[in-house]
Amino acid sequence: MKCVRCLHDTAAKFTEAPDGSGAWEVYGCSRCNFTWRNTEEQEVINPELRDKNFQFTGEPEDLQILVPVPPLKK
Amino acid sequence: MVYRDLRSFLTKLEDAGQLVRIKDSILPEPTIREIGRAATDLPNGPAVIMDNIKGMKGMQVALNVHGSWANCALMMGLDKNTTVRDQFFTFLDAWDKYPGEIKNIDSAKAPCHEVVIKDNINLFESIPLFRINKWDAACFLSKACVVTKDPDDPDNFDTQNVGTYRMQVLGKDTVCIQALGFHDIARHITHAEEQNKPLPIAICLGNDPVLTFMASTPINYDLSEYKYAAAINGIPMELTKALNSNLDIPANAEYVLEGEILPRVRVPEGPFGEFPGSYSGMRLQSIFKVKTITHRKNPIFENLFMGRPWTEIDYLMGLNTCVPLYKQLKETMPEVVAVNAMYQHGLTAIIATSNRFGGYAKSVAFRLASTPHGISYCKNIILVDADVDPFNLEEVMWSLSVRVRADKDVIVIPNTPGMPLDPTSFPAGMGNKFIIDATQPTAPDGLLRDTRLIDNPDSKGFEKIIADLQAAAQKK
Repeated sequence: MKCVRCLHDTAAKFTEAPDGSGAWEVYGCSRCNFTWRNTEEQEVINPELRDKNFQFTGEPEDLQILVPVPPLKK
Repeated sequence: MVYRDLRSFLTKLEDAGQLVRIKDSILPEPTIREIGRAATDLPNGPAVIMDNIKGMKGMQVALNVHGSWANCALMMGLDKNTTVRDQFFTFLDAWDKYPGEIKNIDSAKAPCHEVVIKDNINLFESIPLFRINKWDAACFLSKACVVTKDPDDPDNFDTQNVGTYRMQVLGKDTVCIQALGFHDIARHITHAEEQNKPLPIAICLGNDPVLTFMASTPINYDLSEYKYAAAINGIPMELTKALNSNLDIPANAEYVLEGEILPRVRVPEGPFGEFPGSYSGMRLQSIFKVKTITHRKNPIFENLFMGRPWTEIDYLMGLNTCVPLYKQLKETMPEVVAVNAMYQHGLTAIIATSNRFGGYAKSVAFRLASTPHGISYCKNIILVDADVDPFNLEEVMWSLSVRVRADKDVIVIPNTPGMPLDPTSFPAGMGNKFIIDATQPTAPDGLLRDTRLIDNPDSKGFEKIIADLQAAAQKK
């Protein structure tokens, strides 16, 4: 399934409404970690309508690390 | 100041007309954020509880619990109409009672352990999660007390950290946490990663309002947030042991998520609508796995809506930013009389101080810029005289209007540390200091032209008389 943010085929449904009402389902992307509910506004969950500033077009490994992984202590 | 838990404070708020309940059936998005924005925009806005959210039958969300000066005053045991300046001095008095007492509660009797879930963890089944702002990357936990210990000093109670950090829910049992280099939790993560060991972590949601307040207060690394909360609440802080680690957790929390931060792993996190009123970018951050969820019966999920200031977070990080900065300045500069650092966690701060000799007020600004919090955060620093109330912006603007000589009293120090979430910090983490000295010049500095201030008449007695007459007039 395609992620609505990074557009890679790395998304899947992972849960649904806990009260059994079928009110909504939740999807998540294992690549960019975006998650969404199928009842949200179309401009949030439809890639065609999403604000391009909030799409992810880069590579995850290129993102900045704010707390660097330290050298191992011997 | 006698709130053992979130529930007792919510009762107080309701009794004082500062809590409302939305009973209508609502969708989690976008309705919860719309309600959060509306509550904080109202004058003396109330806390709001929602308990009829589609797909989440039986679950409750509480927003805006700290989201007005009235609610903050009630948290400190004051009348809800108490001025901000008086709240500052009340908080200051309570601050000096540190350390407060700790009371340990048997784990089996702790309310936070009434319900224990160890198998088939699914955060969405236990907590009514929602996307706070439209372009957030996911549902975030924005108002938790996050507890960790220093793995190099695991028996030290005081360096155990209780902090508020944003956390992005990635899946059923995985959560990402933002640590910034200067956060206390970053030290703990680094020490664990040096040994390639997982770091036990407890996410405590829905706590007594003072503990939540202290978790977002910049105190020194080796001082205990729990002991401060006890001192300020005036009653012992009730703690219990986590089920899977040696962490001390608030016994009366609504929810506790226990897990471990995975060592030497970073994953994509963000964006998230942050306290400066703008979205942070995407970064690589630490991740933890939730192993156990415990909660009280009928738990209340308290979360924080934050939007373009002012919203609840500005109240939550208001006076608790002012007081520690004041205390740190006062240690070496007794001339300081009050600090208002309520603007975006101190990005802008106003200090009232006596000007002991020419140029002294500027030195107070340098001192602020070298406090642990001020190093990164305090970038716009305004100095006013001791007789000016820094919480009264009309008086501050008067000082700027009549006491600033632009050629002598305005200083910019470039390329200093900055706050990475501040959109002007570039590259993220770098910044500058902007100092405006709006105090009256003192010898040997050149004095202003000989000016006589208008004396205030003794009007306090009539304030009450007129206020009472006005209240009577409004009742007609």
